[in-house]
Amino acid sequence: MDDDKNTKVFEKLTQAVITGDCAMAEEGANDVLNKGIPPYDAVINGLAEGMKVVGEKYEKKEYFLPEMLLSADAMYAGLNILTPHIKSEDKQKGKVILGVVEGDIHDIGKNIVKTMLTVAGYEVIDLGKDVPVAEFIEKAKSEGAKVIAMSTLMTPTLMSMKAVEEKLKDERLKGKVKTIIGGSAVSETWRANIGSDAFGADAMEAVDKIKALVSSITAAAEALKQEEKKTTDEK
Amino acid sequence: MKNSEIEIVFQPYGSRSKYPSGTIIMVAAKTLGVDISSLCAGNGTCGKCKIRIQRGTEGISSPTEKELKHLSQKELKAGFRLACQTKLRSSATIFVPERSRVGKQRLQTEGLNVPVKPSPLVTKHYLEITPPTLHNVRSDEDGLLDTLRIKHGLDNLRVDYETAKTLPIKLRKAEWNVTAVVSEKRIIDIEHGDTSERCFGFAVDIGSTKLAGFLMNLNTGHVVAVAARMNPQISLGEDVLSRISHVMMHGLNALRELHEAVVSSINEMIAECCEKANVGTGEIYELNFVGNTAMQMLFLEIWPQYTALSPYPPVLRRGIDVEAAQLGLTSHPRANAHYVPVIGGFVGSDSVADLMAIDMLNSEEIVMDIDIGTNTEIAVGNKDSILIVSCASGPAFEGMEIKHGMRAATGAIERISVDPDSLETHYRTIEDAPPVGICGSGLVEAPAELLKAGIINMTGRFNKEMAKKTDRVRTTPEGWLEYVIASKEESATDSDITITQADIRELQKAKAAIRAGAEVLLRRMKLTKDDITTLYVAGAFGNYIDAESARTIGLYPELPLDHIKFVGNTAGTGSRMCLISKQMREYAERISENVRYYELAVDPDFQSEYIKASFLPHQDMSRQPFVTELLKRHGRVP
Ligand code: FES
Repeated sequence: MDDDKNTKVFEKLTQAVITGDCAMAEEGANDVLNKGIPPYDAVINGLAEGMKVVGEKYEKKEYFLPEMLLSADAMYAGLNILTPHIKSEDKQKGKVILGVVEGDIHDIGKNIVKTMLTVAGYEVIDLGKDVPVAEFIEKAKSEGAKVIAMSTLMTPTLMSMKAVEEKLKDERLKGKVKTIIGGSAVSETWRANIGSDAFGADAMEAVDKIKALVSSITAAAEALKQEEKKTTDEK
Repeated sequence: MKNSEIEIVFQPYGSRSKYPSGTIIMVAAKTLGVDISSLCAGNGTCGKCKIRIQRGTEGISSPTEKELKHLSQKELKAGFRLACQTKLRSSATIFVPERSRVGKQRLQTEGLNVPVKPSPLVTKHYLEITPPTLHNVRSDEDGLLDTLRIKHGLDNLRVDYETAKTLPIKLRKAEWNVTAVVSEKRIIDIEHGDTSERCFGFAVDIGSTKLAGFLMNLNTGHVVAVAARMNPQISLGEDVLSRISHVMMHGLNALRELHEAVVSSINEMIAECCEKANVGTGEIYELNFVGNTAMQMLFLEIWPQYTALSPYPPVLRRGIDVEAAQLGLTSHPRANAHYVPVIGGFVGSDSVADLMAIDMLNSEEIVMDIDIGTNTEIAVGNKDSILIVSCASGPAFEGMEIKHGMRAATGAIERISVDPDSLETHYRTIEDAPPVGICGSGLVEAPAELLKAGIINMTGRFNKEMAKKTDRVRTTPEGWLEYVIASKEESATDSDITITQADIRELQKAKAAIRAGAEVLLRRMKLTKDDITTLYVAGAFGNYIDAESARTIGLYPELPLDHIKFVGNTAGTGSRMCLISKQMREYAERISENVRYYELAVDPDFQSEYIKASFLPHQDMSRQPFVTELLKRHGRVP
């Protein structure tokens, strides 16, 4: 009964994001607060769900920047209302270091990834554009982040990605810190060539793969926890 | 007044004839061979046959419903009508505006001779030198220089070392009747007898995909032969950045390879032109090159890496002179090769050529110049200040990354109209050949027509509902929607020619980059679109774009159509101008010095402008009063 009520509100938020309807998103967010639904659940099951659909449509070319913009607007309309009510321990799924590699300053694609990651519940450390090779690694170390996401629009700066990979190896961090690369100039072939951990063909795929990377890193710990939980539950 | 005859005059042609009262303008035009563009064969659905009635407004039929759809109130007031719908009952003068005239030869190259008085860097002078005698012992050099000074008024010349080596033999063999070849202040050769008529130069437009070469008579400034080649560097990288990456990964040998590839193609063009015009390659004394900055580096074998990395500085900005032989070019052994100056890492001498062609440095009025290509350069300003940007618009408008896209070639669909009622289509191809694909001008017009017909909406998305109304809208195997322009049966290929959802997205991306660049640039200059008196559109396919369709999709800031001028591909023209005129070379140098480059990617507004501009025509419709009105007329409420 309660679940059903929640589902309806979530559905409303999802639809608001898909259709890019700000008013509906605000209405949905207020419903969440009024009905005492946990706001974090509403973000994940409502707004983020909507962005996921948007992302899928984007991948299928059904949606493009204009629709993304409208959807993102609706999402933020909802988020603005919900975020102040989210408990901080709910917020983090993981930290991601994100940036456009050294030599390149084209960051529109990176910014889309940032939005999608944020709404999916990740803490994004955005290093901006033209990020020096060492900075990616320093930040990952100082922030304790396990994923570095790099993008570039231009082929000549592909080499900067390679440099990051090499430095990771030099510092014996390869494998401990995972990398994902993306951007117009990047391909699966290039990923294989430099030994990066993942390649995201577009923003949506990047977010999915980052999820996979994060979970692969925490997999062991998670599995252990699950195992424990199971045994206690069974008892 | 029964059986009355009326006289119809067509301007700007001045052709006229008598017709029975009630004649439809289009019908009259046909009898006179006045070509008015028409895609729907006079059905009143394509709206491409707009003409203006200059005189004789009393006797015209009132606008039909179809006309009301295609013509704005403003246009109607100004006397615009559809030629295929309007009947005349009294004598009239009809003006056929530029954009309603049928383009002649779509594949024809630009006008070859340039409107510049020759003042070449190389001149030839026939001399009859008095030989030295015992009473007047004069060096061969002095004999030569004295004659040049006294007879030709040329001062301060020097004899080149290479010329000196054989000078005594040449003078005596020719019995002192020789022709001196003077390049700047140097005498680079002495020729037997009078060869002053035979003074040639070679101008090249080094495009990243195409090379064009022009053999020119330096005395007259006329083109004597032309040749074209694909840029052979393509095999080492589709676009300039991948060619630079190739160099970065494979080092100096790769750079040499790219350099030699383009040089050998240029040599082929030289050989071809010389053969056509019966000129010896040794009679080419000067060469001139125009191209983007990457081409400059790859042609001159300059290490290109750092220009491809932020902040993208060019290595050389000024024009540079190199011995042609040193570059491996086939020409006179002491010929000089000049590469016209560039402005920035992504703004090359092709852009300099644009600004030269429109004489922007001397313009009192504020003008904007857009050169559409894989990189689109946009300049705005006037003689006081000019700012230029480069947008990564990508090759979509060149037909790349478009399912049925192609370059302008025989069989390319170049005009398209979609009847908003029946959703049927009409198109025209280059040389009226069966359709093969869609070229740039078609790719501008298609989204505009689909938008007007409501097949796509302002976000560029196909309207699924339309699939119920017409078979032309259907789902592709990839699951996208697409619109069929020409069926398999009509086309020269064995598939239907369509424009897909993905194509529209590519085009939106390209046009958003261009539009956002223009908007940011205007804002940087503290100008608005209304300050622009003329918008020049350059680029290989620029000439053939329909100005109104481009405006409908929001390719450029919205301006009245008569403020928009198409100037075609100016790189070749610029190269020819700089080959035959010293003044033009100096002018190019001044453009390079005075035009400031602005980096779009660091502009705080660029991203939001880009996203807004990815709408068709724009998210902010207050910037699009004309299109708002146009869409309303078509029953689409923006
Ligand atoms: S020819 Fe007149 S509208 Fe098509």
